Amino acid sequence: MILTTQALHFKYPQGESFRFPDLAIAAGEKILIMGPSGCGKSTLLSLISGALPLQSGDITLTGTTYRMLRGTALDRMRADHLGVIFQTLNLIPYLTGYQNAALGLQFSAIRRRRVLKPSDEIHRLARALGLSQQHLDSQARALSIGQQQRIAVIRALLGRPELILADEPTSALDPESTERFIQELLGSFDPSTQGMILVSHNPALQPFFDRVIKLKGPQDV
Amino acid sequence: MFRLALASLRARRLPVGLVTIALAAAMVLLLSIERVQNATQDGFNQTLSGVDLIIGPRSGSIELVLYTTFHLGRPTNNITTETINDIANRPEIEWLVPIALGDNHRGFRVVATTPQYFEHIKYAGNRVLKFQSGQPFAAIDGVVIGSAVAQELGYTVGSKLFITHGASATMAQVHDDFAFTVAGILEPTGTPNDRAVFVDLKGYELIHLGWQSGTQAFRLSGIDLDSIPEDKLVPKTITAAYVGLKSKLGLFQFMRDVQAYPEEPISAIVPGLALAELWSIVGMVDKVFQFLSWMIIAISLIAMVTMTITSLDSRTREMTILRATGASPWHLSALVMMESFLIGMGSIVISIGLVTLSTWLASDYLATSLGITPTISWLSLNELMILTLILLSGLASSLVPAMMVFRRSLQQGLLQ
Repeated sequence: MILTTQALHFKYPQGESFRFPDLAIAAGEKILIMGPSGCGKSTLLSLISGALPLQSGDITLTGTTYRMLRGTALDRMRADHLGVIFQTLNLIPYLTGYQNAALGLQFSAIRRRRVLKPSDEIHRLARALGLSQQHLDSQARALSIGQQQRIAVIRALLGRPELILADEPTSALDPESTERFIQELLGSFDPSTQGMILVSHNPALQPFFDRVIKLKGPQDV
Repeated sequence: MFRLALASLRARRLPVGLVTIALAAAMVLLLSIERVQNATQDGFNQTLSGVDLIIGPRSGSIELVLYTTFHLGRPTNNITTETINDIANRPEIEWLVPIALGDNHRGFRVVATTPQYFEHIKYAGNRVLKFQSGQPFAAIDGVVIGSAVAQELGYTVGSKLFITHGASATMAQVHDDFAFTVAGILEPTGTPNDRAVFVDLKGYELIHLGWQSGTQAFRLSGIDLDSIPEDKLVPKTITAAYVGLKSKLGLFQFMRDVQAYPEEPISAIVPGLALAELWSIVGMVDKVFQFLSWMIIAISLIAMVTMTITSLDSRTREMTILRATGASPWHLSALVMMESFLIGMGSIVISIGLVTLSTWLASDYLATSLGITPTISWLSLNELMILTLILLSGLASSLVPAMMVFRRSLQQGLLQ
């Protein structure tokens, strides 16, 4: 298993409390997590990415449990084994598309070792996602939302991290672009070594995924 | 991380540029004060060597060395030739060169002296005055000019010139009844000698015959100069005299003897000691300027820190992205400090360029106004230490925003 979660429970200071179903994701599995706004989808992703501290329960990623990790060890875990795609504002605006994509390798020696020639890999993924050299050379602020999302996908996939987390990556795209994006994302994903969790409220994405988990909201059981 | 820091600074080029310029300007001020003061001091110290004492009318030692050696200011009094001859006959004296000041040629100071001036007066340690053309004056109408005089006025050996009465070029009382002939032109020395006109004491006395209280009673042009008795050409007074002693061991005793000379009030000064006294006074002013410069540097560093802290809020998303891709708080702190380092280095590079330019311009002014050409070196050890200290101060001050970045959690950024 790439990822397992057990008895995850998180309570915000303002009072909202979430209980999440246990997850187990193997290589090649694509999971879609759905639910209405405020149901805890982003909270779950934040717990898995280590952005939120564990309050109860545990998470195991590539055999390492989060409870054993402290400080920068969690940052290293994220750098080495996770690729993250945000909903919007994925890129550093003053860097080029290429430079943003290359950030995926910046903080992980493990991911760098997996890529013989980063430039070749970035260009390969760019072609697979329909991006040209011009897109890679342009500053991020000059790219469209869809192009920025594709650059974010390259960054997340570069160096083949075991788990890809995508938080509503198509929310800013139109339906046609959404379908194309998901197809390109899943086409670039390596099923032999990688798993994926994608969060969305868009039911049209369900056919693309192996499993759909629906969260109901605070105190979900 | 270096490329990331560079790209980040480029994205904020306006505020970063302004802070860099402010810091560079403060560094230029500090270094310029340091350089010009050192260069001027070196230039002054190298102007005169090989002279044990300067004897002149009793006055301040700084005043005496300034008007005799640097042609700054005006002599307040003279010494009689009898007194100087008396001093010259003392057993301690190895050589004595008298000088008389007071006239000028088109703004260049006229120094009346003897041909021994070019033999005994040295500069820059032990360098002798050499001639690029001609030789010391031998005839009564001979004149030796400094290299700057020749260059600016276009004189060569054989050129004729008239001396103007008084130290100011604007005074209209020209000794136009007697022309001097350029006998020699000195090589450049980087000292006030470059901007001086040297005439024989006898020639100087000749052109002042018939002058009383600053006005001319009769002109020389109508007189047979050969008929003038030799003793009439012996100066009655001189301004000062350079002295070389046979032994330096007796220097201070000799000075005391001169101070106690009964016939007229005279004093003897050691040029180096007088200059040291001058620098101790000038040094206090320099310290005030240096303090102000350091204050400006501190203010510039505060501006840099303020800019960095202010930018942190607008860079929250950027920091969040970096954290999400695996950057630790240490990485982000290092990024902030790297940016400060680059601003500091940029300021240093700009300041070195500007300070070199400003001291080159100042050296031109110093050469024109003081007649000294200071040696401008590239970067001294002291300057390197100052710049290193400023760079480290900048890094230390950037610890504040670095700590702020360190404490921000990933989740805070994701929620914004």
